[in-house]
Amino acid sequence: MGKEVIEVQSLRKDFKSHSSRSGLKGAFRDLFTRNYKVISAVKDISFTVNEGEMVGYIGENGAGKSTSIKMLTGILTPTSGTVRVNGMDPHKEREKFVRSIGVVFGQRSQLWWDIAVQESFRLLKKVYNVPDDVYNEHMNHVIESLDIGPLLDKPVRKLSLGQRMRCELAAALLHNPKLLFLDEPTIGLDVLVKLKIRNFLKEINEKYKTTILLTTHDLTDIEALCERVVMLDEGQIIYDGKLAKLRSNWGEGKQIEFQFGENVTGDELQPLLKELDAEWTPGDRPNVYVANVVNEEHVISEVIGRVVAAHRITDIKIHEISTEEIIRNIYEEGMLNG
Amino acid sequence: MKHATIFLLYVSQYMKTRLTYRIDMAMEIMSDLLFQAVNLIFILVVFGHTNMLSGWSRDEIIFIYGFFLVPFAIFGAFFNIWDFNERYIVKGEMDRILTRPVHSLFQIILERMELESLFGMITGIAVMIYAGSRLDLSLSWYDPFVFLVMVIGGAFVYAGIFVLLASISFWSDSRTSIMPMMYNIGNYGRYPVDIYNKVIRFILTWILPFAFVGVYPSAYFLGREEWYGYAFLTPVIGFAFFAIAIIMWNIGVTKYRGAGN
Repeated sequence: MGKEVIEVQSLRKDFKSHSSRSGLKGAFRDLFTRNYKVISAVKDISFTVNEGEMVGYIGENGAGKSTSIKMLTGILTPTSGTVRVNGMDPHKEREKFVRSIGVVFGQRSQLWWDIAVQESFRLLKKVYNVPDDVYNEHMNHVIESLDIGPLLDKPVRKLSLGQRMRCELAAALLHNPKLLFLDEPTIGLDVLVKLKIRNFLKEINEKYKTTILLTTHDLTDIEALCERVVMLDEGQIIYDGKLAKLRSNWGEGKQIEFQFGENVTGDELQPLLKELDAEWTPGDRPNVYVANVVNEEHVISEVIGRVVAAHRITDIKIHEISTEEIIRNIYEEGMLNG
Repeated sequence: MKHATIFLLYVSQYMKTRLTYRIDMAMEIMSDLLFQAVNLIFILVVFGHTNMLSGWSRDEIIFIYGFFLVPFAIFGAFFNIWDFNERYIVKGEMDRILTRPVHSLFQIILERMELESLFGMITGIAVMIYAGSRLDLSLSWYDPFVFLVMVIGGAFVYAGIFVLLASISFWSDSRTSIMPMMYNIGNYGRYPVDIYNKVIRFILTWILPFAFVGVYPSAYFLGREEWYGYAFLTPVIGFAFFAIAIIMWNIGVTKYRGAGN
């Protein structure tokens, strides 16, 4: 196990929001006594991230992703619990702390809108107090790998989204941080730019052992980059572990969907899977059943063989379970035995 | 030192972008001048009907107005963050500010500065020279230094009040209309406080001490010895208010709730 970069202990964030009463009379009462409702966005989460890890931080909207990232980056003060990132308390030593991290918020620009990209870099270089020689060596490499050399003298407002995003990433890495927070870095980008960004992230992770915490809606990003995922739901961590394990517990295997040509019941079908590593779930249409089987040739052919021998069928489809589906299943069922 | 170089870099960036929008800049300077001229005409009109206002002559009041313009110009150039709530809290730009290793208020000042306002200093000094020459004021060698201290004190009073008001946004993200009101109240500091009733005088001295931007420090240069006590309090009040404002700001930052995405 490497050095711990992020240590979070029962971290919690409550927001107090006041709910207004209805009607004019209610408005008057609100003037004097307000109804406060405490909403917990993050409920006592704990996890650690080691140096050089790339962690996918996933969850639905409102699951507490942004709030917890904002606490990890020192933007928000936790209600309770402890956060140590790079050995510091992000909120208490904010100015010193933010030197050691890089942040990209996909929907928010770090660059100055009206001035050329390289002027933005120059300002940030001063803000982070990066010496010339360090800057030149490191940034020449970053600029080359992200292929943004030709964009440097253009103002940010004239860049396309993909071009801007690559510049944002370069700006976040200007001071060569050991830890990088990426919040939706590939939102709205086309496949080629996504690939370029992913390759670049892999490269800096290998070269500098940069730790990366990535939130995204695009699970292909996570599949391409992260070995580990932390999954949040309603402010709590519902899974923290290897992506591969998540897949093997929930998604290894295939689904064989049978459309039967006659009326069948689950009880009738049950004996067909005897002694096989498989089980039935009813499909979304009448007389459709799905056999969830392990991904092994003989099991798959055995299942198909037995079903076809016993019943008349009109259609067969074989699906691979995608990560997206796995995660949707987890959220729908709201529990995890892995 | 680091702050000074960052400041200079921002200023040069600012000039570069502003110079590309030359017409905008010319319009802004023109409208500032026009605004100052209207205020001056107002004073002249009032004195078309009377020679004295509570024992202050026309030229003395013009002098006070001239003085007021100087700290006000500095305030306008650097601390005019009336749109802080909307820009930084509601739109969530504060997130970005807080991920950079420089004090948040300093960054916002750098981002929101409007250096054109500094032209107001020239107008103000010109008005003071005009009024001063008619009043036969004598200058000692140390008066320019006193002037500098008074101007900084006055600018800090303004800055302190506006930063305090901006800090409120950290606690309540509802929009407030206090800011425009504050500009009006600020204007009261341009006139001798003894023309107002006691309550207003008290407020302008101790609660919203706008009197320390205009009339009190000017009294020193006008040789009005009865006001010297207040005149020399100017830098003290300025630094005190600014210090309180920064403390409130720093507390406010820990209460920042972020914009929901």
